[in-house]
Amino acid sequence: MARLLIRTAAWTGAIAGLVIVYLAMVGMIERLDTLPIIGTVGMDTILIFVPAAVGGWVVTRPRVVAGERRTATPGAGVALGAAEGLAAGAVVELGVVLVSAMGIETVRQVFSAVSPSLIEILRFHMASVPAALVLLVATTVVGALGGLLSALPRSVRGPVATGAAAILVVALLRQVIAPAFDQMKIERDWLYSPITLGLTWIGGLVMFVLAAATVRLRVGHRLATILVPSRYPSAAPPEPEGLTAEADGEGPPAEGRDAFGAGISRRGIAIIAWCVIAVIVGVLPYLVGPVVSRILGTVGIFLLLGLGLNIVVGFAGLLDLGYVAFFAVGAYFTAILTGGQRVTFTGYEAPTFGLHLSFYVALPIVVAVAAFVGLVIGAPVLRLRGDYLAIVTLGFGEIARVIFGSTWAQNLFGGSLGMSSITAAELPGVNVNFQSDPRHFYFLVLVFCLLAVFVSWRLQGSRVGRAWNAMREDEQVADAMGISTTRFKLLAFAMGGAIGSIGGALFAVSLGSLTIASFQILVSITALSVIILGGLGSIPGVVVGALVLIGLPGLLTQFADYRLLIYGAVLIAIMLLRPQGLVPNVRVSRELREDERSQDQWAKHLLEQDAVDAPEPTGGALT
Amino acid sequence: MSNEEGEVQAEVASDQRLGRFERLPVRRIVLTLLTVTIVVAVGGGIFKTLTLTGVDHLGWTFWANLLVIGLALGSVYALIALGYTLVYGILRMINFAHGEIFMAGAFGSFFFAAAYAKSGFLNAHPWLALAILFLVAMGVSTGIAVLLERVAYRPLRNAPRLVPLITAIGASLFLQNSFQGFFGSQTRGYPRPSLLDGTIKLGRVSFDKIDPVVIATAIVVMIGLQFFVKRTKTGKAMRAVAQDREIASLMGIDVDRVVVTTFVLGGMLAGIAGVLYALTFGQVGATMGFLPGIAAFTAAVLGGIGSVPGAAIGGLILGVAESVGPYLLLSGINVPSPFELKGVITFSILVLVLIFRPGGILGTGEAEKV
Repeated sequence: MARLLIRTAAWTGAIAGLVIVYLAMVGMIERLDTLPIIGTVGMDTILIFVPAAVGGWVVTRPRVVAGERRTATPGAGVALGAAEGLAAGAVVELGVVLVSAMGIETVRQVFSAVSPSLIEILRFHMASVPAALVLLVATTVVGALGGLLSALPRSVRGPVATGAAAILVVALLRQVIAPAFDQMKIERDWLYSPITLGLTWIGGLVMFVLAAATVRLRVGHRLATILVPSRYPSAAPPEPEGLTAEADGEGPPAEGRDAFGAGISRRGIAIIAWCVIAVIVGVLPYLVGPVVSRILGTVGIFLLLGLGLNIVVGFAGLLDLGYVAFFAVGAYFTAILTGGQRVTFTGYEAPTFGLHLSFYVALPIVVAVAAFVGLVIGAPVLRLRGDYLAIVTLGFGEIARVIFGSTWAQNLFGGSLGMSSITAAELPGVNVNFQSDPRHFYFLVLVFCLLAVFVSWRLQGSRVGRAWNAMREDEQVADAMGISTTRFKLLAFAMGGAIGSIGGALFAVSLGSLTIASFQILVSITALSVIILGGLGSIPGVVVGALVLIGLPGLLTQFADYRLLIYGAVLIAIMLLRPQGLVPNVRVSRELREDERSQDQWAKHLLEQDAVDAPEPTGGALT
Repeated sequence: MSNEEGEVQAEVASDQRLGRFERLPVRRIVLTLLTVTIVVAVGGGIFKTLTLTGVDHLGWTFWANLLVIGLALGSVYALIALGYTLVYGILRMINFAHGEIFMAGAFGSFFFAAAYAKSGFLNAHPWLALAILFLVAMGVSTGIAVLLERVAYRPLRNAPRLVPLITAIGASLFLQNSFQGFFGSQTRGYPRPSLLDGTIKLGRVSFDKIDPVVIATAIVVMIGLQFFVKRTKTGKAMRAVAQDREIASLMGIDVDRVVVTTFVLGGMLAGIAGVLYALTFGQVGATMGFLPGIAAFTAAVLGGIGSVPGAAIGGLILGVAESVGPYLLLSGINVPSPFELKGVITFSILVLVLIFRPGGILGTGEAEKV
C-alpha cells in the first residue's frame, strides 16, 4: 500500500513537473515575469510552484480503494505531497540541466521560447548547483503544503484555499481596484506596493484573512441563496457544491439557508444587496477609468453573445459553432444601414443599398435580419443532432465569414478591407459619444445586457423555456408530449441570433470600423467557452464566464498572447472536472449528475459525494 | 439507436397535428427551394463557364491541370479523413482536434527536413530522407493522438455526446496555440528535395512532380489500411468494437487497446498526410491544421463516415471540387476571384450532404458501422 502510494506520488509529481516544463516551453513563465503578485514574487514564480502544490493536493485526495473510501491523515498528506513535490522539482531540474547541456541556442532553434532569461528564471538568478537545491527544496515544501491542505478538514481547507486564491485575484485586478481606491480617495499603498506594483505582504495578509473569514462564515453562500432564490424549491436537493465559485465540491448540505441574523428579514437583505450591486455597476466606469471601461465594454459585447448562444446551446441543447455568423450579420448590417462607408484602395465609398438611418431605427431591422438568418440556418438542419449539427453550423459560420470578406460581395460589405465611418449611435439632445468615450459605451452595452439578461431569465421559466428544456432532455419524448420541436428549434435559433446580432451591432458602434479579421470562427469558440465556463443554461454563469474569460485577458496584457490557449484548456478542464460549470444551472447540473449515476465510469465520483438523490430515469442534458 | 426511424415517426406525428404553424411543412419547403436554387446555380454556372471557355484562355489543359492538383489535394484529405472515420466508427465522436494532429506531424518533421536540407542530406539521399521524415511525422502525430485519447477522451467515453465534442474543440485550440507558443507563430518554408521539384509534362498537360507522388503514396497507404481493417485480427477486433462496444468487451476484446490502436492508426495516417501536404504546399505553420481538418471531415461525411473506402472517395471528390469547383461554377457568372470562395464550396457540400444524405455516399442510413 505504501509503495503504491509512493508510486502514485512520483507519477503525479512527474506530471506536475511536465506541466511546469510545458509552461516554460510555451513561453508563459518568461512572459509573466513582468506580472507582480505579492512582495517580490511574480506570476512566473507562482506558475512554477502552483502545479507542484496542485499535484500534492491531488495525490492526497480521498480515494476509493476496493469500494472503501480512504482519506489521508495530515501527516501522510505532508509525506505524500513532499514526495510529489520532489518528483516535480526533479523533472524541472532535469529539463534545465538538459537544456544547459545541449546549449540554449541549439534548443532555441526549435523551441523558440527557450531563452537565457527563461533559464535564469528557472534558476532563480543563482548559480546552477545552489539553484537546483533551492528548486528541489522549494517544490518539495510546496508539494507538502498542498498535501497538508488537502488532508486537513474542510473547515480549514476551504478558507485557506480561498484565501490563497483571493491574493492572486486581488493582485491580478490591480488595474481595477487601484484606480477605484484613488477615485474614492482611499489610501492604497498598504495594499499595492508602489515599487513592485504587486500586493504588499501586509495587503496580501489582509486579503487572505478577509477571504478566509468570508468562506468560514459562509457569507458568499448565504448571500447567493438570498439573492438567487431557487426556482424549484421542492424539486432541487440542497446543492452540495454550494453556489459560490470558490466552494470546492463536496461539502455538507447548506445548513445556513435562513439568514445572517434574526433582526433583518431575508427580503430586506436581498433588497439592500441588490441596491449595492446596482450602485457598483452604475458607478463602475467612473471608478475604474476609461481603459478598464473599454475592456468592460468588450466584456458586455461577449456577454450578449454568450447570452444568445446560451439560449441555443444551454436552453435548447443545440450546439451551434457558427454563432459568429450572427455577430457578423449584426455588425455588417448596422454598418450598412447607418451610413457606414466601404473602404477601397482609392478611398471611402458608399455601399450598395447604403442608408443613413439612426442606430436606434436600424437596430430593430438588424435584429429582424439576424432572426431571419437564424431561421434560414435553422430550417435545413432541423433533423440533425448533436455533433453533426455542430459541424454544419460551423460550416455556416465559415460561409458567412467568407461571403462577408469576399471580393464578390465587395460592393455590399467592403470585402477584405472592410467598412468604416460607422455611426457612433448619438442620442439626440444628450451629449454622449459611444465611440470616443468608453465610459459612455459601457452604459449603452449595459442597457442591452440587462435587457438580454431579463429576456433570457423570463424565457427560461416560461412555456417556451420549458419546451426547450424538454427538447434538450429528450427530443423524441418532447415531440411525443406535443411539443413542436420544429417550432421551438427555429425559435431558439432566431432568438439566439437576435441577441447575438445586438452584440455585433454594438461591436460595430464601439469601433466605428470593421474588418473581416474580427469575425473568425474563434468568436464562436470564445462565446462557447464563456458559457461552458459559467455553466450551460446558467445566466449568472454567462456573466461570470464573460468577466473571467474576456475581462481578465483584457486587463492583463501579459496573458493576451495565451488567451486562446487558456480557452482551450478551460474547455477541456471544465468538461473533465466540472461539466456543470462554475455557477451551475440547478436543473442542468442535476441532469448531468443523473447521467453520472447511470454510468459505471462516473459512478465512482458519487462515492466521494455525500449527497445521493433519488435517481430519475431521464436522458442526458447534452445528448 | 433507430434515430432515423424515430425522426420519421416524429415528422409524421408533427404533420398530423393541427396547429397552424405545424401543418406548414417548413422543412420540406425550404429543402425544395434549396434544391431548385442549387440545381439552377450549379447548372447555370457550369454552362456559362464552359461556353465562356471557347473565347477565353481556359482550355482543356487548364482543367486537366486543376484536376491533377485536386486529386493530389484530395489524396491528402482522404488520409486525414480516414482518421476521423476510424475514430467516429469506434467511439461515435468527432475528433475535432484531428486537424491539429495532422499539423503536429507536419511541424515535427519540419525541423528534420530543415536540418537535412541544410546538410545536403535531403538532396543526396532523397528517398531515405523522405522515409525518415515520414517516420518522424508519424511518430509525433501518433504520440499526440494517443496522449489526447488518454488525457482528454478516455475519462469522457461514457459522458453525454456533446461533452467529448466540446473537449475536442478545446483540445484543438489548445494544441494549435501550444505549437504557436513552442515554435513561434510564423509559417515556415518546408524544403522539398530537388528530385521532386519542378514539373513534368504528359502530352500537353504539365503538372508538379510532387502531385503523382502524393497520389501514389496515398493510394498505397489506403490499400494497406483496408487490408489491416479487413484481414488482420486487430482489424477484426476494431470492427467488432465499432459494432457494439459492450458485446465486444464481453467477447474478450480489450476495448481500451482497440481504441488506442485506432488513435495510433489515425495518427500515423495524419502524419503521412502532414508530410505530403507540407511537400505539396511548401510551408508549415501552427494554424495549418484547421481548414484541411474541416475539409477532411467533410470528406469523411461525404463518403459515409465510418467507411474506409468512403473516406477515400469522399476525399478525392472534395479535393477535385475544391480545385475545379470555384472556376467551373463561379467564373462563368462573373464572380471576381472565385478561388476565394473555395471554402463556401467545401462547406456547402458538407451542409448539403448532411441534409440530403446524412449517411454519405457509401454509408448506410445513419452510418452505424465501419
